[in-house]
Amino acid sequence: MSSDTPTSPGPTEGATGGSEVSTDGNAFFECNICLDTARDAVVSMCGHLFCWPCLHQWLETRPNRQTCPVCKAGISKDKCIPIYGRGASDQQDPREKLPPRPQGQRSEPENNGGFPGFGFGDGGFQMSFGIGAFPFGIFASTFNFNDGRPGPAQPGTPQHSEEQFLSKVFLWVAILFMFWLLIA
Amino acid sequence: MNSPLSPIDFEDKRLKIKFKLEKRLQKELQALTKDPPTGVKVDAESIYRNLSEWIVDIDGAPESLYEGEKFKLMFKFGSRYPFDSPQVMFIGENIPLHPHVYSNGHICLSILTDDWSPALSVQSVCLSVVSMLSSCKEKKRPPDNSFYVKTCSKNPKKTRWWYHGK
Repeated sequence: MSSDTPTSPGPTEGATGGSEVSTDGNAFFECNICLDTARDAVVSMCGHLFCWPCLHQWLETRPNRQTCPVCKAGISKDKCIPIYGRGASDQQDPREKLPPRPQGQRSEPENNGGFPGFGFGDGGFQMSFGIGAFPFGIFASTFNFNDGRPGPAQPGTPQHSEEQFLSKVFLWVAILFMFWLLIA
Repeated sequence: MNSPLSPIDFEDKRLKIKFKLEKRLQKELQALTKDPPTGVKVDAESIYRNLSEWIVDIDGAPESLYEGEKFKLMFKFGSRYPFDSPQVMFIGENIPLHPHVYSNGHICLSILTDDWSPALSVQSVCLSVVSMLSSCKEKKRPPDNSFYVKTCSKNPKKTRWWYHGK
């Protein structure tokens, strides 16, 4: 109950009405997708002209089956040639121009309520072990998985330098303490 | 680091997409009214009022089984057109009796779903439909017509079509 109509390049091109309908000279340089004069133009290896933003959107639509909209030839970003007209102020490769899609932003889930530190249930798992008595607690390591603490600050921010400073202070305090233990 | 789209950028992007979609539809309409293929007619006045829904008059091609018959095709364009295919179906009194056309107007044609390409247009879809009708050898409904019509969704694009050749 079906018919499979392959779209051959010839009739399709005619049918999109690009070149034949408009009378102005721009008609031959219309994008095959938006039917407007191609902007940030690229041409595929099979010779079909597109705006890069239009083609990019089409390639994103079917990432697993990237075909030329006009002739269904295989197509990809690397196999398109950017076109630069004379005197264009912006000679940047249009394929680089389109900003890459913004990346998804994910933040760590916040621990709210529940029993802090006693949580297999509420999503956090904390464990700490130490060796020896109080003074040697310095050697204690703490493993915290997935707790609600924020990560380290980005290098270059004031918070980062502050944290660096604090960690140095504590290091010196620890060294002094051990020194005192040895001589006492 | 990429900053997420601010609401204003997002709104801006949406408007741009909408603008591009309308521009393309207007261009298609212009081309179709100015230089329509034989047997395809549009009422531009009514379409300009609502660009997202078109009704196109189609004549059965001469020397085909549908010679002299008149059909109405309805096109509905979603916001993702032309990257997503339009909804296309026959409407009105006369639904062509054809092995790929169900009695509710749904058409089983691969370019309307899987084989859609943004380089296709209303005009090329109309021509494909006319040529599909013209190649018909025997006027009959699809064998599973009564079952399909009872169970299908209103939107033909929701049907998983099985295309088998010809």
